[in-house]
Amino acid sequence: MSAGQIRLFTLWRREANRFMKIKKQTIGAPLLETFLYISVFGAALGTRIDQLHGIDYVVFVIPGLIMMAWSINAFTNNSSSILQQKFQGAIQDQLSSPASPLELLLAFAFGGFMRGLIVAALTFTAASFLVDLPVEHVLVLIPALFLVGLFFSLLGVVIGIRAEQFDDVAFAQTFVLQPLIFLGGVFYSASLLPEPFQTLTHFNPIYYMINLVRYGFLGYSEASIALSLLALTAATTALFLLNLRLFTRGYRLRA
Amino acid sequence: MNASLSSDGGAPASALHIEDLVKRYPTGVEALRGVSLDIAPGELFGLLGPNGAGKSTLIHCTTGLAQPTSGTIRVFGFDAIDRYADARQAVGLAPQEPNLDWFLTVEETLDYHAGYFGMPKRERRERSKELLETFSLTEKRDERTRTLSGGMKRRLILARAMMHRPRLLILDEPTAGVDVELRLELWHYVQRINQEGTTILLTTHYLEEAEQLCDRIAFIAEGQIVGLGTSQELAASYDVETLEDAYLALVGRKELSRSHVEVTAS
Repeated sequence: MSAGQIRLFTLWRREANRFMKIKKQTIGAPLLETFLYISVFGAALGTRIDQLHGIDYVVFVIPGLIMMAWSINAFTNNSSSILQQKFQGAIQDQLSSPASPLELLLAFAFGGFMRGLIVAALTFTAASFLVDLPVEHVLVLIPALFLVGLFFSLLGVVIGIRAEQFDDVAFAQTFVLQPLIFLGGVFYSASLLPEPFQTLTHFNPIYYMINLVRYGFLGYSEASIALSLLALTAATTALFLLNLRLFTRGYRLRA
Repeated sequence: MNASLSSDGGAPASALHIEDLVKRYPTGVEALRGVSLDIAPGELFGLLGPNGAGKSTLIHCTTGLAQPTSGTIRVFGFDAIDRYADARQAVGLAPQEPNLDWFLTVEETLDYHAGYFGMPKRERRERSKELLETFSLTEKRDERTRTLSGGMKRRLILARAMMHRPRLLILDEPTAGVDVELRLELWHYVQRINQEGTTILLTTHYLEEAEQLCDRIAFIAEGQIVGLGTSQELAASYDVETLEDAYLALVGRKELSRSHVEVTAS
């Protein structure tokens, strides 16, 4: 391994080490939360709502829950980790190392990405035991989940860099991210909503992400797959470039 | 190789070369106002000044934790901005405030730091074992850093700064708040690694520490270097007997001089 590869791997390892040391909180709790969602919305509500668009209700919601697990965990991990390190001053050890802005960004981004991936994979495995979950379009599902995970990892990095107190992170997660995810159609089909809510949902970017993942699993979509993939790729790229600029300028990291 | 070399094209003439360094914070505060400094390879150099004089800002600019507004910093000939990777590779920093990662154990702290500097696994293992023993941390190797005492944290911070074998070691008030035993231990260690060839930049509030350890000392006040030389030269330049009196003259508190107090008492 070259010095650069060792550096990148160590930076990433530090992120993975952090969330694995508190895995009850970072892996166990989100897994339980997702399981409760499946139980409440799937099993309980599913007895009232039999099917949506010809798909069992519980099966209909699981792709959205998997996406939600990946996105929230990727976001939370990175925003918390960066802010904690800024608070402790521990980030100085990384900032005063020869690591480039790109190396720092990749390590932080893939730290959260990995945590999201683990929670999502465990959710998928657990759900597969409970229901018969198909994977209709794996070539859409894999890039869609990869992009969604990366997008929210990068969003977590931006919020972590900008944040000056834990309230800033909590605000972004509770008042922006979670409502957008919940109103993006995780638990329902937007096509069943009355106006103007149906139209308003189309302005929610997360609606398209949920559609992509749902299409990958179930083959059902309410939006253009190609356009959604393109928009998600563009948004992820823009976020990546923004982050790279922040790291290069040392925004709120270097005095 | 873009590093600036000595005039004969050999090794860089300076371990740390700072020229006309200005640092203005977004708040408008000008922490450094045209600082110029030259530290020779192998030198043990002291930087003294009152709180808020600009010592930590100068260190932060050198290590990449702060971005200079203007001026030049070269570490062993490598520009701290354009060749930051080479410059930072040569520097080890033991900061004033303990900035340890709470999630890591003592051994992980050393291992990760060395990894950030690209050190291979086997070398990291050997080096951390060596430093854990040197700093009497072996028994604490598996403890989380947040459970360590203040003295142990200081030892770990110094061990971490040494982990990647820096050519320039920056010690920002390394003995602040430590007991006499540890202070003397650190002094011995600093002198030893200096004799082995490591250049050291030391900031301290303990004047006897600077006097005893440093080859040369610079006084910094209000973001400017206002005195530079050996402790004798500095005392002479302020027309006083000791480094302490020179320092008191610098900060405008001559009345606190021990000789003055003794004379008054007698």
